[in-house]
Amino acid sequence: MRRNWASLSGLFAVAAAAIILSAYSGASSPEGNQPQQPINFPHPTHVKTLGMNCLYCHSAANKSPDPGLPAVGTCMGCHLVVAAQKPEIKKLAQYANSNTPIPWERIHKLPEYVRFPHVRHVSAGVTCQKCHGQVQDMAQVYQQESLNMGWCISCHLENKARYDCAVCHY
Amino acid sequence: MSETPSSTGVKRRDFLKILGTTGALAGCNMDEPGKLIPYLVSPDNTVPGVSTYYATTCRECSAGCGIISETRDGRSIKLEGNPDHPVNRGALCAQGQAALQGLYNPDRHRGPMIRRNNRLESATWEEAAALLAQKLRDARADGSASRAVFINEHESGSFPAFLDGVLGAFGIPAHLPYHAEGDTGAAMAHQEAYGAAWPRLDFSAARLIVSFGADFLDGWGASVPQQLDFANARAALDRAPRFIYIGPRRSLTGLNADEWIDCKPGSELSIARAVLGVGGSAADAATQSGVSAERLTRLAAEIAAARPNLVLASGTTGSGGELASAVAAFNRGAGNVGTTILQGEQIVGLSGAATYAEMIDLVGRMNNGQVPMLFVRGVNPVYSMPKAAGFGEAMAKVPFKVGFSSYPDETSALCDLVLPDHHSLEQWGDAEPIPGVLGLQQPVMDPVFNTRATADVLLVAARADATIAGRFPQATYRDWLIARFPGGASAFAGALTTGLARGAPARTTAARRAVPPAAAPTGIEQTEGDFYFLPYPSPTLGMGEGANKPWLQELPDPVSKICWQSWVEIHPLTAQRMGIDSGDHISIRTSVGEVTAPAFLYLGIRQDTVAMPMGQGHTAYGRFAKGIGVNALDAAPSVLDPRTGSFLPVATKARVTKAAGHSRLVTTEGSARQHGRGIARAMLASELGTPKVEHGHEFMGDASHAFLPGLRAPVANDAQGELGSDLSASKGMYAPDHWSGMAKRRWAMTIDLARCTGCSACMTACYAENNIPTVGAPHQGPQLFPDRTGAGANITRSREMTWIRIERYFEGGEHGENEFEARFIPMLCQHCGNAPCEPVCPVYATYHAPDGLNIQVYNRCVGTRYCSNNCPYKVRYFNWFGYGEPDRPQYAFPEPLNWQLNPDVTVRSKGVMEKCTFCVQRIREAENRATVEKRAMQPDEFTVACAQACPSRAITFGDAAEAGWAVNELIEDRRAYHVFEELNTFTAVVYLQKVNHPAPGSPAPAAAAAGVPHGE
Repeated sequence: MRRNWASLSGLFAVAAAAIILSAYSGASSPEGNQPQQPINFPHPTHVKTLGMNCLYCHSAANKSPDPGLPAVGTCMGCHLVVAAQKPEIKKLAQYANSNTPIPWERIHKLPEYVRFPHVRHVSAGVTCQKCHGQVQDMAQVYQQESLNMGWCISCHLENKARYDCAVCHY
Repeated sequence: MSETPSSTGVKRRDFLKILGTTGALAGCNMDEPGKLIPYLVSPDNTVPGVSTYYATTCRECSAGCGIISETRDGRSIKLEGNPDHPVNRGALCAQGQAALQGLYNPDRHRGPMIRRNNRLESATWEEAAALLAQKLRDARADGSASRAVFINEHESGSFPAFLDGVLGAFGIPAHLPYHAEGDTGAAMAHQEAYGAAWPRLDFSAARLIVSFGADFLDGWGASVPQQLDFANARAALDRAPRFIYIGPRRSLTGLNADEWIDCKPGSELSIARAVLGVGGSAADAATQSGVSAERLTRLAAEIAAARPNLVLASGTTGSGGELASAVAAFNRGAGNVGTTILQGEQIVGLSGAATYAEMIDLVGRMNNGQVPMLFVRGVNPVYSMPKAAGFGEAMAKVPFKVGFSSYPDETSALCDLVLPDHHSLEQWGDAEPIPGVLGLQQPVMDPVFNTRATADVLLVAARADATIAGRFPQATYRDWLIARFPGGASAFAGALTTGLARGAPARTTAARRAVPPAAAPTGIEQTEGDFYFLPYPSPTLGMGEGANKPWLQELPDPVSKICWQSWVEIHPLTAQRMGIDSGDHISIRTSVGEVTAPAFLYLGIRQDTVAMPMGQGHTAYGRFAKGIGVNALDAAPSVLDPRTGSFLPVATKARVTKAAGHSRLVTTEGSARQHGRGIARAMLASELGTPKVEHGHEFMGDASHAFLPGLRAPVANDAQGELGSDLSASKGMYAPDHWSGMAKRRWAMTIDLARCTGCSACMTACYAENNIPTVGAPHQGPQLFPDRTGAGANITRSREMTWIRIERYFEGGEHGENEFEARFIPMLCQHCGNAPCEPVCPVYATYHAPDGLNIQVYNRCVGTRYCSNNCPYKVRYFNWFGYGEPDRPQYAFPEPLNWQLNPDVTVRSKGVMEKCTFCVQRIREAENRATVEKRAMQPDEFTVACAQACPSRAITFGDAAEAGWAVNELIEDRRAYHVFEELNTFTAVVYLQKVNHPAPGSPAPAAAAAGVPHGE
């Protein structure tokens, strides 16, 4: 049976273009992703200079599948007084005073259909840096690891963790 | 297909290469990862991503079951029964589950409305409250308040007394507690005979259950506790009571009976008199009922011999309250009170409801212009009373009408002021489920819309009137409740953790207006027509209050398996005689009206009777209810029972004709017959003691074999035994001793068919837990085919998505005989150890997990549907449309219905296959919890959604590879079997056979053994 494959591929090119142009929401965020944040939050100052633990702000990471973001009120707990005159803190105060949450740009996003319970990993002794990189050294946070499935599985195999599909995909 | 170069020089292989590359490109394409929005101030006691649980009380009916709301990040996502609650003991019915879709109903009133220029227009609460306060003050001042009427839904707890207190302060008489579906006739008879309106029924203590139209499993009284007790009684197997159902139609309760006596409507009383020995001869009863005198004599002897017994009667059959009274008197005389009828544990919520006579009296007063002001809260009488009663027309004559409904229903559409109430999950309150117990009701989340609790609105109005303000020191109803709670605020806060307290609610002392007794109606036999007409409340939609919830609309009626539609039940032989096929339209004409609906040919109805469910045919009530089906009450005369003043739906004959037109039945039923496949099996109680042997040996696939060590997660190699290939001899991670430990568990389930009543609560629980889209709403129907549009169009193409379904099979009655048996069997993914779906998947999207789960990986699935094609159980469901995608016309969760979605479960997209996962999210959650707490998982530590909800406790889930889980014992039961075990599928779902109880001394009916493929 003969078919005109060239004309089919022409059709397909149009379809492929449509697919590429359309948003594909199933993907993870890219390695090196480093968006500009609404407030230039310096992790090194808080973690290295002041010695704050990650869990001080991301307090749900050892309790919940979600790591949790600090509430604006948590930031203001210190910054009502501390460094209140710095321009970035003024931005923060503006959000707090206008009852607007800070629209942080998301950096790390796993693909759709993947479940990553932070609590289980944190309680197993996986450090935050294992997935998020050396955040305490990043003046502006970026994505260090690929977050793709092979990367996940290599760590699971290394640590003798379960690697069946349905451990994460459901 | 050959690979010769085509004229343009592009080969098929090249084409596929291009396809592959562009496909990969598409796969790599990124969109924005999005924003992360923090809280402004972190709420107390919540951790993002971790559920909070609130104990409260279900107000979907008046039973007052205890529920626990799972609230995640401020939104209620699941309701489950409260295990500590004495009424429902952890179970919850479909209607209770679906309360969430009332809470998140997209058609709820957004805020208050005031009628201006003959239109309801949005207003602010200040305007609306000011108008209400002014009207009430004026009415109090000029004395017209004494003729105002407040109709409230019938409920137990403190609110009725609170309401009468506020009304009394304004000079308004005591409110009318209306209950459209409540059997006030039976309640009245119970009250007289037992001293309790709705005693607890102890089925276990009875040796025989006889029901005269009392549908105790589907709407008569408190379904959940009655079902729990009935299932417990039937689970006693050889000691279980036999159950006889008497009535013109076999309802869901009737289908659970061992024997059906099909009497004419209205003849129940004559049978009761004859067989209960309270006057009346079998010969007379036989003439009136169409049941042979011989059969009635045998029944009388059986009742006399089986003591104690339990005889139940509805007050709404054609015989009315007199039947309920006669039966109650019999129970008292026979010594059943205190043994099978526990009057001390009554369901309080069913006492004291206003009778239909009081509503009819109100219609008369409204028509005469005697009612200056009408308030309606929680009920919809314009819809739920027969059209012939004329409530709507009469209501229109009331000068000022106030509606508190949260929904745009038929009654609130007629109101002048709409003050939408909070949903019961958004407000404070209490209930009195059984004497001495207070069930507390608390908000489980912030209000979804701009609504206000009626109690608070009334308090504001009362405190705004200087003359009476002093009587209301508390500003809110919550404060009022706390003020009279024993122990005060701290005790109240403590009791909220369980939702239960000892004590009694406030009681109303105001007396309602007395209503003169009604005249005796024309007997059914004297009405005109060639058929008896039997409208009945729908087991899923009730009297229509469930119709705006897509879960309930999509839940197939347990008897007919029809959803999103009205139908007329007619006997197959009658239909044949009249030239009517399934789906042909039938017209039913009575003295008051006519309804037309497609025919459903049903064995369980008398040949001279047609029946029709109520609950559909709304003219308002939102997108999921409006315009679907017809209202059976349009043809029902408004007839009062002279004895009890309750509504008698079965009161007339009708002219029945074949009408023009045909509709596809929106049914989920494949076949009503098993065709010898042995899906739903049953055995006789007398066979229980015999050893389990077929063909002289126990065969492979038999339940007790499939779970032997080594076969816990059988892979193909195991199933092939010595014929298995050496190459697949290594089991890898499937080996029980593999380092990952993944094969340590074998998740399994048992379903006891002796317990299952077919109620279908498990289905709604599954919809709620697993984000299953409903596909039958009118806007979801495909528009291309003229005969397949509108409500249920997708379901006529078998595109429903129900991960667990209840199959209903008939045994016997092949030639239209009325002696037939019904069997219900929940059918879900069997998680086969040797699954036919797995090897046919070309992309490895479905595979077997080492812990025994059959997995569907959504992001691998490309939608070939081979797996569904190869599944012998037909439990895989395909997303034909983007039901989970907001920009598609078929979107199943219009805002804010999507607030209910379970964040632990993926919302599937178009083009992927899905099916039961054994609630894998709950398994993972339990594993994570145990690991984080550094302990081993405890047997029966958690269960799946269907098993949790089941009001029959028929479903048990657990690990078949670890001793201690309850499933292990059940798997070894004498009655255990696998469906289609001959296919070598090694299923993880084990069914326990139903047990039948034939009449004493009767030969074993052939049907009992039928349905088993072997041994015929």
